[in-house]
Amino acid sequence: MARTKPKLSVCLTSRVGIKLKRGKAERSMPRLTLSFSAIPPLLVIALVGLPVFAAIFAGVSTGDGATWTHIFENRLVPYTATTLWVLFLSAAIMIALAVPAAWLISQYEFPGRSIFNWALILPLAMPGYVMAYAWADVMGVAGPLQTQLREWTGLSARDYWFPNLFSAPGLAFVLASTLFPYVYITARAAFSMQSLATLEAARSLGAKPFDLFWRVAIPVAAPAIIGGLCLALMEAAADYGAADFLGIQTLGVGIIRSWTSFGEPNTAARLALMLIFIAGTFLVAARIFQGQRGTQQTSVRWRTPQRSDMPVWAGISAFALCTAFLLICFFVPMSRLIWLLLEHQARAPDLMPLIRSTLILGAMGAATAFVAALVFSLATKRHESLRLGARLVAAAGYAAPGAVLGLGALYILRETGQSLSGAIAIGFLIWIYVSRFTSAGVEPMQATLARLPKNLDQASHSLGVTGLRQFWRVDLPLIAPGAFAAALILFVEILKELPATLMLRPFGWDTLAVRAHAYATDERLAQATLPALLIVLAGLAPVLLLSWRLSQSERT
Amino acid sequence: MTFKIHMIAGLSLLVGAVAACSNPADTPTDDATAAPQPVLTIYSSRHYDSDKELFAMFEEQSGARLDVRESGASQLLETMRAEGDQSPADVIIAADAGSLWRFQDAGLTQPLSSAALNNVVPANYRESDGNWFGVARRIRGIAYDPDRWTPEELARWDLLASEDKAGESCVRSTSNIYNLSLMSELIHRYGNEAAQTWATAIVGNMARNPQGGDTDQIRAIAAGECSLAIVNHYYWIRLGASETEADQLVAASTSFLVPEFVEGSGSHVNITGAAVTTTADDLKLAEDFIAFLLTETGQSYVTRDTKELPLLDTTALPDGVEKVPAFVASDTQLDVYGENQAEAQRLFDLAGWN
Repeated sequence: MARTKPKLSVCLTSRVGIKLKRGKAERSMPRLTLSFSAIPPLLVIALVGLPVFAAIFAGVSTGDGATWTHIFENRLVPYTATTLWVLFLSAAIMIALAVPAAWLISQYEFPGRSIFNWALILPLAMPGYVMAYAWADVMGVAGPLQTQLREWTGLSARDYWFPNLFSAPGLAFVLASTLFPYVYITARAAFSMQSLATLEAARSLGAKPFDLFWRVAIPVAAPAIIGGLCLALMEAAADYGAADFLGIQTLGVGIIRSWTSFGEPNTAARLALMLIFIAGTFLVAARIFQGQRGTQQTSVRWRTPQRSDMPVWAGISAFALCTAFLLICFFVPMSRLIWLLLEHQARAPDLMPLIRSTLILGAMGAATAFVAALVFSLATKRHESLRLGARLVAAAGYAAPGAVLGLGALYILRETGQSLSGAIAIGFLIWIYVSRFTSAGVEPMQATLARLPKNLDQASHSLGVTGLRQFWRVDLPLIAPGAFAAALILFVEILKELPATLMLRPFGWDTLAVRAHAYATDERLAQATLPALLIVLAGLAPVLLLSWRLSQSERT
Repeated sequence: MTFKIHMIAGLSLLVGAVAACSNPADTPTDDATAAPQPVLTIYSSRHYDSDKELFAMFEEQSGARLDVRESGASQLLETMRAEGDQSPADVIIAADAGSLWRFQDAGLTQPLSSAALNNVVPANYRESDGNWFGVARRIRGIAYDPDRWTPEELARWDLLASEDKAGESCVRSTSNIYNLSLMSELIHRYGNEAAQTWATAIVGNMARNPQGGDTDQIRAIAAGECSLAIVNHYYWIRLGASETEADQLVAASTSFLVPEFVEGSGSHVNITGAAVTTTADDLKLAEDFIAFLLTETGQSYVTRDTKELPLLDTTALPDGVEKVPAFVASDTQLDVYGENQAEAQRLFDLAGWN
């Protein structure tokens, strides 16, 4: 196995633009070759980790400001507790939404199944902050629901109880409803690909459908579900826009407040360390859990189990349930935004340049982060020892709020004496996208790799396929399903990215997210709706493609 | 076969992205020396169409090109800090004296002794050494339900802390600089302890947890969830000027007043202002630009969309702003909004005002 490593390194290094000299002697020097092939992934780790490290270093190396003492004594515990509470609730909501939906769709035939199959991924196109604007408007005391309620009942706003979106559970709901597709995708894939033999064995032993779900399918699918959940929770932890809009005091909000109100970016960076620690804990916990549970299936019959028919009442219930999920997580907030747009006939001029910058930055960021994620995934396939470290570094970037990475970038900018304009600014911005989102690309690729039999490498070698040819003809096709999903997810995530883009974009590169945010901070929500809707629309195409692709792969 | 298709699809995405990279996106170059035309770079925390129109007028009038970076004030500040001597910024425009003070405190602004500006801008609306100059005024006041309260019952800020207001108040979170600047003036006038006592009492009188923006507070009054709210005047004006009937009804069913601290103290006024940076290449051009904002034309455009009050008394009020009741402005030097800002946030935190 060690023989091929230098060749792999060549194909990978050529993708990150570094040339390595490679002599024939390497074949007899396995130690040296190991270090050579580890260079590209190590470079990528450095690339991904540097902004996080710079932000933390800038935070810790400067002395305690007055604010740090205040935050540490009075706010750190409440911020952390609120964050954990919100994450716990989001996790519960995401599981409650995604797992039943994924189970029904993968195992049963019912009306609308083929539509729900892909449509339940649509909320991924919706940024958390846009979801918060829309639901706050729907649910607010002056919104259509409560206004109608008061009209019907004649009550005043203080006479009745109504679910309060401006609360920790409200924030958890908003975050969960945009992020549950991550859990849904992984859960559906896991259920679809369950070993037929396992399910058949359980059936033949007389397991009822509920038992089959609860005692067989869930334990087997749990590692995949936990993986998706982990990704979603890291994204939720880094949220600022939705939490700030809803007035919930999470660490994300505390970080921005330390920076803006207290004027102490170093305190912000220290608080970010707490978030990164939480994310790291999730990842390690998930890893331990997956390590314990992940290897139970021995049958290699992976074909999708036949979907069973449902009794009519159950089919209607399943239809109603999925419809409700889809309405809540996508169509109601979307419709409200469209309604607001039409009602106010708000103008938002000059959107074309915004659309162009959004797409160009999204494509450049996604392409670069994709390469980084590919290097990560293929290299850690060879270097077991790099795997956890690499993923932790990527996770640190993913869990750090964009604003903190932005501060890290500004720190590096200052140290290098550059001005934030033109190509340099774009370079920094792309770099931060890579640092922030590589994890979102690595996870689907890893999920694909984890399913592959380990002996494929040996098989390709024994057929004489090595090096660049191995990369093109074996590695890439094998990782393609995951890589395709990764590319689309990266593109959508970067379209939605706000804080780092806000901080680092050069002149003339405003994105739709930046404009929507600018209008929203001026409390001109009606004007914010058009750019916000355009972000969702731009994200829909890749999300639909992703959805189609995933259902294809699960069918074959 | 399918693998091949996936591969091709993935690669074409990559290629497309790379093609997009090389697409000569026409970013304006920031290098002022290369262009024959003088360039004035503005870092602005505002995002209004009327500003764009006004900037275009200045370009035409002066022959200079304006490069504008719009972002949050904190982001702009951090960007300038990072850019250091390399910063292209010539002029900063930011809402709230507290924000402007922070640019000054970070050593990013330079004092300007301009007779033209000093003649126009009242002394307390410009920084003592000329580090920044007000270009528009904004008032933090009280929106209320006129069926519930008389203006006399809300005429002073301390009246919001009284027991009869229990469960009646709506207000946004203290992340927002408007609340910080109000608190800063309270600290300036009455000291830390009294200011914290006031904030604690306000928290006790809240009808709900701080949430949403100022507009949301006014809507909550109209919906009956509370009967008074601390808001900036222009949010109330904009509701009245909205295209939708629902918003107009909200404005019509509420009133707005401008409270004092004690009788005769004058009222809390804030500004949107402009500052010249330490890295400005062409001081004359920068000064001309700020002076242009303070012309009749400049004033009417600066306030047209925002519904702020012009800094010049001579400029006609923007549509709808005449509904703000007459008030006497406090003569507090606005420097204190910045100086007390961190303390204000700390006291809010201690008072439990999220």
